[in-house]
Amino acid sequence: MNNSDSNTGMTRRKFITVAGGVAGLAALGSMGIYSGWGKNETELNTEEMMNEEHSSDVLVIGSGMAGLFAAVKAHDAGSKVIMVSKGRLGSSGQTPFAKGIFAYDSKTSEVNLDEFVAQVSRSALGTNNPVYTRQMAEHSLARVNELKEWGFFDSVLYNKPFCKPMAQRNIPVVERIMITNLVKENGRIAGAAGFSLDEETIHLFKAKSVILCTGAGGFKPNGFPICDLTHDGTIMAYQIGAKVTGKEWNDGHPGKAKNPAACFDGWGNMFERKPELTSVEIHHDLGVDMNYLAYMKGNPFKMGPPGSEENINISGGPCRPAEFSRNGHAGEPPKPPKGKRPPKKGGTPPGMGGNSVGGSSAGMAIHKSEGLVPINDKCESNIPGLYAAGDALGSYMAGAIYTQVGSSLAGSAVQGGIAGEAAAEYCKTVEMQTILPVKMNEIQEEILAPLKRESGYSPAWVTQTLQGIMIPNFILYIKKEKLMQAALAYIEELRDHHMPMLRAADMHELRLAHETRNMIISAEMKLKASIMRKESRCSHYRLDYPEMDNENWQAWINIFKGDDGEMKLEKQAFGSWPV
Amino acid sequence: MSIEKINGCIGCGTCVKTCPTDVIRLDPKSGKAIIKYPADCQICHLCRMYCPVDAITISPEKSIRVIVSWG
Amino acid sequence: MKTQLIRYILLFVGLPLLFWSLGDFHEDTVLKESLSVLIIISFSLMIGQFFLARSNKVFLKEVKTTKVAKFHKIIGYVFVPILVFHPFFIVFPRYFEAGIEPKEAFITMITTFNSIGVLLGISAWILIVIIGLTTLFRNRLGMNYRTWRVFHGILSVMFITVANLHVLDLGSHLNTPLSLFIIAITIAGILLLLKVYILKPKIAKPTK
Repeated sequence: MNNSDSNTGMTRRKFITVAGGVAGLAALGSMGIYSGWGKNETELNTEEMMNEEHSSDVLVIGSGMAGLFAAVKAHDAGSKVIMVSKGRLGSSGQTPFAKGIFAYDSKTSEVNLDEFVAQVSRSALGTNNPVYTRQMAEHSLARVNELKEWGFFDSVLYNKPFCKPMAQRNIPVVERIMITNLVKENGRIAGAAGFSLDEETIHLFKAKSVILCTGAGGFKPNGFPICDLTHDGTIMAYQIGAKVTGKEWNDGHPGKAKNPAACFDGWGNMFERKPELTSVEIHHDLGVDMNYLAYMKGNPFKMGPPGSEENINISGGPCRPAEFSRNGHAGEPPKPPKGKRPPKKGGTPPGMGGNSVGGSSAGMAIHKSEGLVPINDKCESNIPGLYAAGDALGSYMAGAIYTQVGSSLAGSAVQGGIAGEAAAEYCKTVEMQTILPVKMNEIQEEILAPLKRESGYSPAWVTQTLQGIMIPNFILYIKKEKLMQAALAYIEELRDHHMPMLRAADMHELRLAHETRNMIISAEMKLKASIMRKESRCSHYRLDYPEMDNENWQAWINIFKGDDGEMKLEKQAFGSWPV
Repeated sequence: MSIEKINGCIGCGTCVKTCPTDVIRLDPKSGKAIIKYPADCQICHLCRMYCPVDAITISPEKSIRVIVSWG
Repeated sequence: MKTQLIRYILLFVGLPLLFWSLGDFHEDTVLKESLSVLIIISFSLMIGQFFLARSNKVFLKEVKTTKVAKFHKIIGYVFVPILVFHPFFIVFPRYFEAGIEPKEAFITMITTFNSIGVLLGISAWILIVIIGLTTLFRNRLGMNYRTWRVFHGILSVMFITVANLHVLDLGSHLNTPLSLFIIAITIAGILLLLKVYILKPKIAKPTK
């Protein structure tokens, strides 16, 4: 199966009609405190930028759970490893907030591995990749035991337990550097480049192999601790020809109506807890059921006690397999993501108690359903030498719906380890490549462009405009062809006429500019994939195609950059590897 | 508004490194942490939890307009 | 005597409490706020020690020298240890809440040498420990009382100056009124002491 979809079937008249609805939103988006276009008041001299070069066999980008194991396992397999992070080891991305980790123990578990995989597959309605589902369960206990040794379960904060294995192995960690570009030479990976947030320095990392552990991303939504995640890894890999999947799926987390942006408060005391183990417990959660309910019933939408949504008589909406019906779990609240179980005492997860609002994790899909397309069970991408693990890999480990509680953190650990070992093996077969100065200059120009502009759009304003276009319930969650086409027209406008005119006055704003660029491309991917998938399944819901279409859609959608530079989409049958 | 105050900062720089969204910087003159980019605060409290002298106060309100899906 | 005591307590306990209550620092737990108040009062009373001395003629008019000396001693014994241990108070509440471990926090705190406030704090801490020890073991030092008194005075002026700078740099509950109050009473206290040792000998010879 290899169907391309160009999404250009819209007449001009149609566009004008539908765009009106979104025009208001775009205007709303610009109502923040930010000014849009303006002079670049930079005090930096881009001519005085410094350059720093690093070299290793394996470069691990990202310092969460996946990055930790990727670095440790690649080192243990004999590679020279460097880890680079936009934030700090164990203190950026989603890892610091994930407090539940799944461990499958074949000795104590009531279900065997085959049954476990089968059950996840049933809940996931075929969207999961059973190879990765099984791999996660198989290796989870070993990774958990290593974490135990490092003191992971004794600490609320993860920096210290993460530093331990890194220090023991003397693996250098370079923090507060945003990687923006992957470098490809002769058809395979040659390194990565980015800039420091603290000094005016461009960093080039030469490596035989790169593992993206860059996590997922969103539209800097309010209420979820993912405002540092903007699908950076996915977008830079897409730019050098990697295939990307899963953009049509959604994570349907609601937030609290009161102070929706306060994710700490919204999660009760979750962020202050030490991590805990979870065992087999398979759900069909965090889809867009609540979004549908709010869409049909209007506001204010109050979440009653668990299970009460069944009492509200409402027809249609996302389909939930009977086996995983909420009725069977009466008295048990829906499970938050990453195995973040509701706190035992005090506090409630977002949406539980009080009025709810939607879109707290807007722009993010179900964990591990979006990211680079793996070509095998080794977390390898279609670019030789480029690997991804955790939320940066579209492994479909859990499927396109939240299934096993706590599997997200466990899966990141397991995949990190697998990718680390695979990358180390790969390094033994290749030589370090030379990166030509011409190429480096090109990349440097691209990185610094927003700093060099004398005037331009502020990234914060463009981000707010994008949020206004993408986050509404009737665009991102309860999908319809017309509105998605309209939103896409807006996003393409941002892509063509704002993305090339983003300005940055300092290194912080340079980071925002690149993040904004990544969000715009992600938004385009999300809309195009959602328009292409003309059915409803798991966390993707189309009001105009509300049924599951097993005839045409037993398939994932891959996105890649065509030879002409255009975004291309294709189908890949469930249970198959890319051809 | 999100991260509000830093009182009694010793300038160790832990919060600067710890903030996922790069909100805090050390003031080059005083050597102490300042809230340089408050609009980007995601109210996750990591800086507060990592601060060795418990100097950081955070409130649940956001300083910029909050965009949600409904409500 | 009673009115003098009340006045003393109002000045060195009441006023700092008032200034503290005017600040907007009350979002913390009861434990943390109590510890903060205790530290503020202890420091204020340390400045107060300058007024519980021979130099304070107003006080001595109504209260016997021995009584003043006794108060000075009691306050020293109670509040000097509090100040000596106050660095631990800052990390102590971490035992009861999520976050960095108290031990780790303490080590980071006392090894952040790029902070002038921490260096001043460590200096002040050493000085107050010396003051404490030389007072406890005064008899073993082999100094006569008057030499010791001068020694004690010099150390105290050094301590209060360094500690003031430390407080002004790092005091987490500091607002403008509290800072001004601390500076004012410190200067007054130091002047009072200097009056006895520097100005007085020029005017009149010591009676004894």
